[in-house]
Amino acid sequence: MNLFASFMLTSMFMLLLPIIMSNTQLYKNNLYPHYVKTTISYAFAISMIPAMMFVSSGQETIVSNWHWLSIQTLKLSLSFKLDYFSIIFIPVALFVTWSIMEFSMWYMHTDPHINRFFKYLLMFLITMMILVTANNLFQLFIGWEGVGIMSFLLIGWWYGRADANTAALQAILYNRIGDVGFITAMAWFLANMNAWDFQQIFITQHKNLNIPLLGLLLAATGKSAQFGLHPWLPSAMEGPTPVSALLHSSTMVVAGVFLLIRFHPLMEQNKTMQTLTLCLGAITTLFTAICALTQNDIKKIVAFSTSSQLGLMIVTIGINQPYLAFLHICTHAFFKAMLFMCSGSIIHSLNDEQDIRKMGGLYKPMPFTTSSLIIGSLALTGMPFLTGFYSKDLIIETANTSYTNAWALSVTLIATSLTAAYSTRIMFFALLGQPRFNSLSPINENNPHLINSIKRLLVGSIFAGYLISHNIPPTTIPQMTMPHYLKLTALAMTITGFILALELNLAAKNLKFKYPSNLFKFSNLLGYFPTVMHRLPSTMSLTMSQKSASMLLDMIWLESVLPKSISHFQMKMSTIVSNQKGLVKLYFLSFMITLTLSLLLLSFHE
Amino acid sequence: MSMVYVNMFLAFIMSLMGLLMYRSHLMSSLLCLEGMMLSLFIMMTVTILNNHFTLASMTPIILLVFAACEAALGLSLLVMVSNTYGTDYVQNLNLLQC
Repeated sequence: MNLFASFMLTSMFMLLLPIIMSNTQLYKNNLYPHYVKTTISYAFAISMIPAMMFVSSGQETIVSNWHWLSIQTLKLSLSFKLDYFSIIFIPVALFVTWSIMEFSMWYMHTDPHINRFFKYLLMFLITMMILVTANNLFQLFIGWEGVGIMSFLLIGWWYGRADANTAALQAILYNRIGDVGFITAMAWFLANMNAWDFQQIFITQHKNLNIPLLGLLLAATGKSAQFGLHPWLPSAMEGPTPVSALLHSSTMVVAGVFLLIRFHPLMEQNKTMQTLTLCLGAITTLFTAICALTQNDIKKIVAFSTSSQLGLMIVTIGINQPYLAFLHICTHAFFKAMLFMCSGSIIHSLNDEQDIRKMGGLYKPMPFTTSSLIIGSLALTGMPFLTGFYSKDLIIETANTSYTNAWALSVTLIATSLTAAYSTRIMFFALLGQPRFNSLSPINENNPHLINSIKRLLVGSIFAGYLISHNIPPTTIPQMTMPHYLKLTALAMTITGFILALELNLAAKNLKFKYPSNLFKFSNLLGYFPTVMHRLPSTMSLTMSQKSASMLLDMIWLESVLPKSISHFQMKMSTIVSNQKGLVKLYFLSFMITLTLSLLLLSFHE
Repeated sequence: MSMVYVNMFLAFIMSLMGLLMYRSHLMSSLLCLEGMMLSLFIMMTVTILNNHFTLASMTPIILLVFAACEAALGLSLLVMVSNTYGTDYVQNLNLLQC
């Protein structure tokens, strides 16, 4: 009987304290951000204790606290599942959030509502924790919706800007479409298995699980911005950089992948779902990598990079490797958050300049940001023995040696080389060459909040992969033997991408093209997807409803068919047919004379 | 036949004359049409009541209904003519420009 569950629940409860304190005087002074940051660092420290207990002994716990209600035969209770996935994810998420909180103390320093910003970030973190530790689908749904709402509030932080409001609404709408899938799955589980608890769902045998798994895949597509429901993620870059770093790189967008990982006992049996997942992830990763190649906003490039890595995680689930996908989630959080923070540092130093065509030559004035950006990009592309290598290289090796869809595999490999290409593009435009920005902005990296937070994530980006992958309990066995050309595939694709991108950038540095080619336009306009899908269906449905309701019913059926057509017909016929002259009195007189004459004649007829 | 019937038949003939011979207003022929309908109604009712012809007791009501319809039709025609010309003089009807 150790303190495993107590420590974990203490760590979760500590996160609630600043929210509870927000009614007091503490919320109104300017020490509140510092208070929140320290709370999260202590919560991280305390949550490391159960993590180390799990590492050394493999102990997992399920805590069922409070029986909320029973709806006929369904029992809903507050229950926390502290298993492999939760215990490792919570310290990682808390560590990254700690660094982001410290970073936003520097980034949002001049914002008058900074206390509210920190409260929103903390509420987001709490709902993410609820999502991750949920043991039944209802609690997971509470966390799911919670992160969606906080994402809306945080993307629209600068709500005076119309683009920010549109982006926040877009995020909500696309997530809602995914929620339809989630609720379908919940309803199916309720109707067929009478349970929303994971344990009961995984034990009951069922022949055909296609419907709930399709619903869960749709939910993951919405939340994790897979192809078809992806435009909200680049638009979500309208929010401040800490929001992009926390929500849209490490934590919220992996909720969809996390959901599929939670349901891996069900997905293992179903080959159809695995193929669907694989193809969806493959097309996502390729499409978003293509779109990232020609974007000009640094945050959008990193957002598309996130989207591409999410596609890679979905591909990993599709080849039936949920543990590898989870490892990639954990390692990806480190370097992606750091990439966002470095771009935030660059943006702030250049006086809110986000276009990479107007940056350049930053390696001399900002050496620390430069080196962390380069290390983050190298970790992203899977340079051997940095963080990304331990998850990404394993994924590519496993995909290469498994009996899988050849198209999905080749597409994933192409996307790997494109990852290196757009990373090179960021580094080339933002850091190298001669400066292209205004010379009046004060560029410095003096603030210790900025330096310490990026430094922490830098150390994490270099060592976390090794530390995590050597301390976790063994799960599925990775493929140990393969031909040497398969082993070197990921490295070769990455190096190809680097070299190609570097050559192209150097060769075309001072050239100007007059007319963009079709391929460029396809990539720059995000594959025409938002342009078409945001305008065409709404125009068509509104026009169709106007035509059917107003034109068809009112104008045609009620007005034209009987009344107007009869009058029109009669008038036309009367003018065509009649040749009367309208001498009414004469006609009446002749009628009367005929009548009288016939009466007289016939009455005196015998 | 009895005096009542002769009386009503004479009223009918008077209205018919009025319908067929009018000077200038279309409205006067419509009024005479109403008079014809009135005399027909009274004649029918008295006949049915005197002969205790109970099964035909509904025919006066039906006659009234149809009389109302035709009065409405006649009035609408009058209104159409009056819309175009401002008056209902019969001499306006010779150009077929309703």
